[in-house]
Amino acid sequence: MLSILRGFLILTAFLMLGDITVELFALPLSSGVAGMLLLTLWLLLRRRLSHDLGAASQPLIGMLALLIMPGVVGIFFQADEFSGQWLTIFIALILGTLLSSLTTLWLMQRLVASPRERPHE
Amino acid sequence: MSELLLRLESLAHTLPQRPETAIVLTLAAYFAGLRLFNWLRSPAWCPPILLAACLLAGLLALLPLGYTEYHRGVSWLTWLLGPATVALGVPLYQQVHHIRTLWKPIVLTLPPAAILAAGYAVGIAWLLDAPPTVLASLAPKSVTAPIAMGIVEELRGSVPLLMGALLITGVMATLSITLLARWGNIHDPRVIGFALGVNGHAIGTVRAFDIGPTAGAFASLGMSLTGVFTALWLPMMWYFVG
Repeated sequence: MLSILRGFLILTAFLMLGDITVELFALPLSSGVAGMLLLTLWLLLRRRLSHDLGAASQPLIGMLALLIMPGVVGIFFQADEFSGQWLTIFIALILGTLLSSLTTLWLMQRLVASPRERPHE
Repeated sequence: MSELLLRLESLAHTLPQRPETAIVLTLAAYFAGLRLFNWLRSPAWCPPILLAACLLAGLLALLPLGYTEYHRGVSWLTWLLGPATVALGVPLYQQVHHIRTLWKPIVLTLPPAAILAAGYAVGIAWLLDAPPTVLASLAPKSVTAPIAMGIVEELRGSVPLLMGALLITGVMATLSITLLARWGNIHDPRVIGFALGVNGHAIGTVRAFDIGPTAGAFASLGMSLTGVFTALWLPMMWYFVG
């Protein structure tokens, strides 16, 4: 339990660091994302993951769906705002996702396959 | 007796203002949503969070509690989204070794793939004359929700619309990648997994773990990298263009 709290302290401190970085350099980033990048960088430099950090991050990541839920609910109360836009939104999402899935698969497949073919040339 | 009634009346005014009311409703709807999901035998097209959100919306509509009041109260809980987003750095760090084994295809695929994941949808919506709020809400549609919420606030889009977009994108990416891989005769779990993570964020990653651990690892790598990369380029780009 204390281990989770210690890990939580580290995470929240990195969130604060993210706040400071975003404010100081006027970055168009959310402080959570800035904190995440700083934490990753710090872990890469240290090359070691402490038990505390693992103990705190695992339950928090597991809670993400719950934390996002209040935002999802808003769509039911703000749907009027986008009336008349729904067809556009659906077409953009469905067609856009189909095209981008196709592009990623094609690109990645070509790039992964090419080094293996080279010895046969 | 009349005094008790008076107190009851004042309670009806204060209770909706209390954070615990919003938090109890949210947690109750969450667990009810999970139950319903299991009872429906885990349908892939309808993640438990959508069921829970529908239940919560129903509760809010029935109770004398406005969405604004609810939103203010629940912010005591949703503040945790900040440290939870920071926590995503831990799995990102743990997956870094996958980049070492296949760094060239990953480094070359990620930027165009992540840019197009946003670009196609925004381009199509723009051609169809969508207003700026809609464009801003659709742009981070392939990014994992906690990061996407941060991005959409930077772009001044609508968080609820983004949530809907994330859901449709996740389901659509899972469906189209499964079918396209079958038609295109692509069997490499690294390729399929990476594509699922880049385009279908958490929903795609769940599907990738169904395929196998390698696909799952590459999906979470693709999801994390897309989130980080998009959080960096999209807001900058938005300021230059808009």
